[in-house]
Amino acid sequence: MSIETSRISRRTILRGLGVSMALPWMESLAPRVSAASISATPGMPRRMAFMFVPNGVHLPDWTPKNLGYGYDLPHILAPLAPVQDDLTVISGLTHDKGRANGDGPGDHARSASVFLTGAQPRKTEGSDIRSGVSVDQVAAQAAGHATRFASLELGCEPGRSAGGCDSGYSCAYSSNMSWSSEATPLGKETNPQLVFERLFGDKPTAGVRDQNAIRREALRKSVLDYIAEDARKLQSQLGTSDRQKLDEYLGGVRDVERRIERSDSEPKVSVDVDYPVPKGTPSDYAEHIRLMCDMMVLAFQTDRTRIATFMLADAGSNRSYRHINVPDGHHDLSHHGGNAAKHAKIREINRFHVAQLSYFLQRLKATPDGDGSLLDNSMIVYGSGLSDGDRHNNENLPILLAGRGGGTIDQGRHIRVADETPMCNLFLSMLDRFGTPVDFVGDSTGRLQGLRATT
Amino acid sequence: MIKSTFLALSAAAIILSPIGSVIAEDLAAPNQFTGTIVPFLQQHCVGCHGADSAEGEVALDRFTTSANVQKDYELWEKIIRLVNEHQMPPADEPQPSPEEVIAVSAAIEAELAAFDCSSERHPGRVTIRRLNKAEYNNTVRDLVGLDLNLAEDFPSDDVGNGFDNMGDVLSIPPVLLEKYLSAAMTIAQRVYEDKDARRRVIPHSPSSDEERVDVARRNVREFASRAYRRPLTSGEEDRLFAIMFAAWSQDADEAEIYQTVISAILSSPNFLFRVEQDPGPNDDDGIRELNDFELASRMSYFLWSTMPDERLMELASKGALQDPALRVQEAMRMLADPKARGLVDNFAGQWLQLRDVSRLQPDPQKFPDFDDDLRTAMRQETETFFETMIREDRSVLEFLNADFTYVNERLARHYNMTDVTGDEFRRVELTQGRRGVLTHASILMLTSNPTRTSPVKRGKWILENMLAEPPPPPPPNVPLLEEGAETLGSLREQMEQHRANPSCAVCHTTMDALGFGLERFDAIGALRDRDGRYEIDASGELPGGRKFDGAAQLMDILGEEKKRQFSECISKKLLTYALGRGLVSYDRCTINDAVSRLASNDYRFSSLVAAIVTSDPFTMREVMRDP
Repeated sequence: MSIETSRISRRTILRGLGVSMALPWMESLAPRVSAASISATPGMPRRMAFMFVPNGVHLPDWTPKNLGYGYDLPHILAPLAPVQDDLTVISGLTHDKGRANGDGPGDHARSASVFLTGAQPRKTEGSDIRSGVSVDQVAAQAAGHATRFASLELGCEPGRSAGGCDSGYSCAYSSNMSWSSEATPLGKETNPQLVFERLFGDKPTAGVRDQNAIRREALRKSVLDYIAEDARKLQSQLGTSDRQKLDEYLGGVRDVERRIERSDSEPKVSVDVDYPVPKGTPSDYAEHIRLMCDMMVLAFQTDRTRIATFMLADAGSNRSYRHINVPDGHHDLSHHGGNAAKHAKIREINRFHVAQLSYFLQRLKATPDGDGSLLDNSMIVYGSGLSDGDRHNNENLPILLAGRGGGTIDQGRHIRVADETPMCNLFLSMLDRFGTPVDFVGDSTGRLQGLRATT
Repeated sequence: MIKSTFLALSAAAIILSPIGSVIAEDLAAPNQFTGTIVPFLQQHCVGCHGADSAEGEVALDRFTTSANVQKDYELWEKIIRLVNEHQMPPADEPQPSPEEVIAVSAAIEAELAAFDCSSERHPGRVTIRRLNKAEYNNTVRDLVGLDLNLAEDFPSDDVGNGFDNMGDVLSIPPVLLEKYLSAAMTIAQRVYEDKDARRRVIPHSPSSDEERVDVARRNVREFASRAYRRPLTSGEEDRLFAIMFAAWSQDADEAEIYQTVISAILSSPNFLFRVEQDPGPNDDDGIRELNDFELASRMSYFLWSTMPDERLMELASKGALQDPALRVQEAMRMLADPKARGLVDNFAGQWLQLRDVSRLQPDPQKFPDFDDDLRTAMRQETETFFETMIREDRSVLEFLNADFTYVNERLARHYNMTDVTGDEFRRVELTQGRRGVLTHASILMLTSNPTRTSPVKRGKWILENMLAEPPPPPPPNVPLLEEGAETLGSLREQMEQHRANPSCAVCHTTMDALGFGLERFDAIGALRDRDGRYEIDASGELPGGRKFDGAAQLMDILGEEKKRQFSECISKKLLTYALGRGLVSYDRCTINDAVSRLASNDYRFSSLVAAIVTSDPFTMREVMRDP
């Protein structure tokens, strides 16, 4: 396929998907040679998404029997058949900091807060919440300036609105997995309509801006200047923990300022998204998840952001899955006590979630990006922070890594890493590939070997 | 409506009763320390935590005659927690028996109860709180007079200590700041479009060109002062005026000038946060008494979940709110105001977890009768009941044992009551073994699983939310109860087998008994006499030997014998909510005071509110101390 025709078909397909656009990097960075064996384009931006499911999985129906290429797909993973060659099942990863380590019960809360941070959360109901900076935010803080939104945090459940969440841990630990600082969980958006409006609501206007637009922008900036000064004045009068809240506030102000400056300086990106605006939050759970997946695909496709996290449900969720004939609460079921009938129900819930992942991966794969697909240039992590929902163990976690990371990952395999290999080692390797290498993240001990088949 | 005279009278009674007259009873007899605690430490702790080894820099052999609670209360609280959670002694060391754990915890608790509240003041420190979603909506409504509910679109507020108004937990992710800005612009526009709102926000208009600047300044000063809930400094006024001036110099019209400055005010941290100054070097002991405006906000967000009204602001500007008696009087006025609905929505909605009723999904196959009308009615029943407790200033013990409730036709059908028609809720007498909120369908449902009841969940819920006796978590590696598999016998039989294990029995005896008392109500709170093929047995015995059969008898026993525990529980919940922070050891002084005020005022709800609005933690602020 020549570059010319691939570009034309790309445009055509984009329109078919509901997006027509001209992105500057696409023109200037298009390769001169076609990469035949690796279906990815050097220089294309890479994307990362992290997806979380609660309560562990039924591992006997998750873990493939065979290692290497051509692995078998057990019951839970069966919906992934269409994208099997684009993902790797990684067995054996551990989140040690999800273990009690002296903090007692609260495995569910820990399983979410540790999932992307690899940090032991401080056990507290309400004062001085502490975790660590999550891997998505490490990347976002290093490279997020390249896009309109540094990152996107999505979910399907708005978090508990009353009562306790888990054994002495504030609900902040159960209902968030992105942390921009050790004390700042990033609340997630659960309404697809609001995600859409945020991403595409203020379309940059093409052409010459009139006096009114210039004045409006100036007034907006004067408001930002005013509130930033207010926050700084307050900071100088207040104590440490109060200052930190105002830091968060100022961080938000800077984000908005940066976005305004970007739209001043960046080459105009004209995006015309004619995807139907989602109407609120659908009551159908599958549709809700798929809409959120569509939002991630659209955001990646239009380069609104390159980093996303998505909690399909909050840690310890007791949601009922009656649409797949499992009316019981998920958390309640996950304490199966070895009961076969419960196992059977749990694996259906697990499979349902995986089917939604499959939808997402197929959408990414069907979306051209450079000479390949969005999936080729992405790294999608999917999994749970608990292994078995009954035992609440944090080793041998159920983890999938999809997408070729711009041709840097050999997909289509089942690999097993050494026992107790930190999950954060995978993150470290992903950050390398994302172009934001760091020396360590969370409790990482080194890079994860084996993402290339040769090593 | 509330009889204000009645409230005023009870307020007077509260003021007359001497504040802080009750000192914690001396529960800690010295022989308890040497008799129970020291032997436990010797046997299980000092091997590692003695002067010689002192692992974790904790040496416990220095405590031989006294726990020194005045100095070391935080250490003792930690010891209780670790021992209860089976964290200590470590799993590879010999373990104390369940009875030993309970005995030593009780003995340490008794020591801690001897904390001498008169020796030092510890009001504690609340981290700066941003408005949560409910508070934002209400505040905007009362500030500009438009019910816009814009916070619906904000990310949800995380919950800590059971409530979503905890300063430390309320964070500001970048997406929230974006939403604040766009909400501020929307409000500014809508204010300008609506005649009444506009008159409220911009009340003064110039009669001549010369006046224009002064009038503009005055409008902005008044609005910003209401928005910030305190007088504006002249520097702030100048800076706000500068924004208007800059807009004017760029040829903005009047609407745009005002909208810009309104957006700035409503996006300012002074509006979005409840700012309280920290103690300065001149404040004794690092403790500062809150000023009147800070107090006004504490009162209004506590009782109304919104900004102070004009009267509170006027009292504040006169310095009147420093007077505790006046604060109590104002609190009574506020409870009588319709805005006290904020306390029902946000305090009751979270303490009793009524908010969960909206999201639960009972299994439609097992409960085909359940529908959204019933769901709505369930929540409304308990909310209306709570509202009555405030409005009629009733005894809080009636949460446990009230013999009346509120139903509409839909709920009456669910309760098998006849002669109730229509959507309107009305007061009815309870029959059929129901008593108090624990037999409301709402609470019975939210303590069940989607397919079946869970006596354990119900029992645990009662201990945690009504009796301030949260059970410790199960010891590690104990198999969880296999509830519900019919081959193993009735649920009750299975649970009795489970309790055969002594380390489970310790807590489950109480938990299960409470839960079993409610077994005649199914997972959506309907009356039943069978569970599958098993007949329901709702009899039981509480520790101490009181026997009961069914919920009504159980609730009567709780109402008689658990007055103190329930008072303590509701006091802790309400104080946590009022302060926006978790309680710490020294807050027990305030709790003790609240409990004794309840006891000496027929357990009236108003006496609890009065105790809180006159307490140190509610009216003072302490510097951050090293942990």
